[in-house]
Amino acid sequence: MSIGSTASLVEDKAAAGLRPGRLPGWMRKTARLLLGLAVTALLWEGSVQLFGIRPAYLPRLSAILAAMAATPRAYLDGFLRTLAETLIGFAAGGAFGVLIGIAFFRLRALREMIFPIFVVSQTIPVIAFGALVVLWFGNTLLAKAVIAFYLTFFPVTVNTLLGLETVDPKLVALMKSFGASNRQLLLRLQLPTALPHIFVALRLASSLSLVGAIVGEWFGDTTGIGVLLLQAMYTENVVALWGALLAAALLGTGFYAVVAAAERRLVFWSAEQ
Amino acid sequence: MFKPTLSRRHALAAVAAVALTAGFPAASVSAAAEPLAKASLRLKWLPQAQFAGFYVAAAKGYYKAEGIDLTINPGGPNLLTENLVATGADTFGLSGGTDSVFAARDKGLPVVCIGVSHQITPFIFVTRKDGPVKTLQDFKGKTVTTWFTGANHVLNGMLAKEGIKADEVKIQPQQVSVTPFVDGSVDVITATYYNEFYTIQSRMPKDSLKTFVAEDYGITFPRDTLIVSETTAKEKPDLVKAFLRASLKGWKDAFADPKGAVDTVMAVAPTLDRAQQEFMLTEVKRLMMAGKAGQDGLFWIDPDAIKTAHDFFLKYGVISKPLDLAAAYDSSFIQSVPLPERMP
Amino acid sequence: MSAALPSSSLAVQRGVLGAVLLVLCWEGLARGLHLPSYVLPAVSDILAGVWSKRALLSEAAGYTLLEALVGYGLGCLVGIGLAVAITMLPVLRTVILPAATAINAVPVVGYSPLILLWFGIGVVSKMVMVAMAVSFTVFLSTLAGLDRVDRRAVDLMRSFGAGRLSILWRLRLPTALPLLLAGMRVSTVRSVIIAIITEMLGAYGGLGWVIYQAVLQIDFVQVWSAIFVASAASLSFFGLIGLLERKILFWK
Repeated sequence: MSIGSTASLVEDKAAAGLRPGRLPGWMRKTARLLLGLAVTALLWEGSVQLFGIRPAYLPRLSAILAAMAATPRAYLDGFLRTLAETLIGFAAGGAFGVLIGIAFFRLRALREMIFPIFVVSQTIPVIAFGALVVLWFGNTLLAKAVIAFYLTFFPVTVNTLLGLETVDPKLVALMKSFGASNRQLLLRLQLPTALPHIFVALRLASSLSLVGAIVGEWFGDTTGIGVLLLQAMYTENVVALWGALLAAALLGTGFYAVVAAAERRLVFWSAEQ
Repeated sequence: MFKPTLSRRHALAAVAAVALTAGFPAASVSAAAEPLAKASLRLKWLPQAQFAGFYVAAAKGYYKAEGIDLTINPGGPNLLTENLVATGADTFGLSGGTDSVFAARDKGLPVVCIGVSHQITPFIFVTRKDGPVKTLQDFKGKTVTTWFTGANHVLNGMLAKEGIKADEVKIQPQQVSVTPFVDGSVDVITATYYNEFYTIQSRMPKDSLKTFVAEDYGITFPRDTLIVSETTAKEKPDLVKAFLRASLKGWKDAFADPKGAVDTVMAVAPTLDRAQQEFMLTEVKRLMMAGKAGQDGLFWIDPDAIKTAHDFFLKYGVISKPLDLAAAYDSSFIQSVPLPERMP
Repeated sequence: MSAALPSSSLAVQRGVLGAVLLVLCWEGLARGLHLPSYVLPAVSDILAGVWSKRALLSEAAGYTLLEALVGYGLGCLVGIGLAVAITMLPVLRTVILPAATAINAVPVVGYSPLILLWFGIGVVSKMVMVAMAVSFTVFLSTLAGLDRVDRRAVDLMRSFGAGRLSILWRLRLPTALPLLLAGMRVSTVRSVIIAIITEMLGAYGGLGWVIYQAVLQIDFVQVWSAIFVASAASLSFFGLIGLLERKILFWK
């Protein structure tokens, strides 16, 4: 069973493919990024003007940025709030995923009993029981974090398990012959071996936790990127809609980049890096 | 080997603690002052001028003055206010309307209505003046969009009065946008006076539009109902009365100073369009002051209107059995507030 | 990957045991605490609800599955097409890859308001949403698969005078197939969920629409019935593509 694992494997490969050739220093990277952004912005602005696209479909980028600048607090507060929900859901989902992954690895019976339920749980559309989450957890930041957690833990569990299973049995036998305890085995050999796999899932989880936070905010909240999206949709304010989308994109890319950077530091030994 | 895990755990706990306190900013404040009763109000929709009075009352501290620490929780596309109030997740609710209160009572949800905000049907059916629809009879064979959240019953009732069967009209669920109507792919659209009607008018001139009003066909559909759970009504009548007093003050202020009220709402939801919100408040005032409210004040529960609505819902199968009106609508709380305080 | 799959009959028994325990706990909690259906209905009530509303629910499931399947098919075509195009014309890579990554940076649900405004609340908006979600995953997995080809094998085929197309058809695609199909299998569950989420924001029918209506009509047994049906639909779609995968990759 590998709903999460293949997706993350795939993500990993693509990210590896994305990475440009060796670039000397961060400055050229930043310059390239800025250049890319500038080109996109120009293309956006230009094509809207050139093809006379109706603002109801795609407003000019400058109009969107002006609207965002007019009410900076709404976007800033929304951004921070959604960020907090995303981070808590991500941390909880990541921690739970790794722990359950280890438990499943150790206790085969437990895995065989619970894993199918986990799989089924992932086929349930989260928005359908969002109202229940509000009932159970109230109108708190926690309620949104719970939804983010729900979307996050599964891929991490799958990849932790997968990673632990790639450990060479001969190495395990060797360490055992030196008298290594189970805990030493886990911390020195199994977890380090599984770490690349875990991080692949964490990168996927970074975007999933953002989805959870945004959808969670659709269940009666005042602040957040999800609220801005909904508000804009129901007042047919396309400019505000794009503003919220830009904020979501910024949060999504930023968080993904941070997780990827942590991965490069921590998993320096991985062949794939 | 233990230390890092422990400190990480502590860090996590700290994050969670910060998150929790961020979720209840009011909790830490009230702990210092004299103990306020914690309560929440669940709205039927996202923050907008439709709910201005409550936001004004909260911003001006009227709830605090009555000893209530009130949190206002917005609604959302998949939330039912009656459900959240019945379960105790929220203390007060501004719910859909008489239709949703009756439906909830019909399904056994222990909610009580303590006030009615919009005294008349807040939505109308809009068509183009130069279009094919001149009378209700012309609805036959045309495409009509409406919300399946209550407005559909009114439409069916109006059609039935004219002897038109529902399947003679192409009734479709209405989408979030009025664009299909403006583009001409829909003949008749449902619009609230305070929201969609404004959006339509911003795209096409008002005198090019023709409207059908439920009241002209003898149907009144009071909406935006204030509700509490039966438990709250029974055990905390003073809390309910205090809430109503503070809310009424907020609404009176909102009507006296609409600009300031819109400021308060836009402080909560800054991305809203100011002109639209000012229009909304004007229209909402008209709806709240209509009918019996003109003499009996805001949030008045008109027993005749409730009875008419009840019989209407019973006839069209929205509710399965006759309901105890006195148990579902309790006027005693709003009557406890002296009349002058109810009149804006 | 197959290691995580329960294979022995003991595993199946344990899986069934787990499910039975969950159902018993749920049922016991709902009945024992006399939870009203608006908090949590009992499993038996939900199953009875599924049965009594089977006509409505199967029609809604058909509606949702149609949206999911068409969107899924479209998404797969676009994803595979783009990946192949990039492999055939490497120039495109510098344009398409960053663009695709940027579009994917926003969670798909974020686009739903926009897509609904653009395409209306009919089936088209759901198909577009599903296609968007599916195409990216399939695109990435196909690309990863196509890139996995051994350079030496390519050189060898070239030395025999094989053209780009023939290398694509004979070498790259067969090599990419396992990853491509895995990406397609992963996308099945997502496609149904995306269709349902979009339906809940506005639709003429489907499981999401049923759930939305049921919430407004305060019929929570029906909400859960629709969720059960949605879950079953996702699992069968997942199973179907999994079966297809095993048929095509018979050598694995």
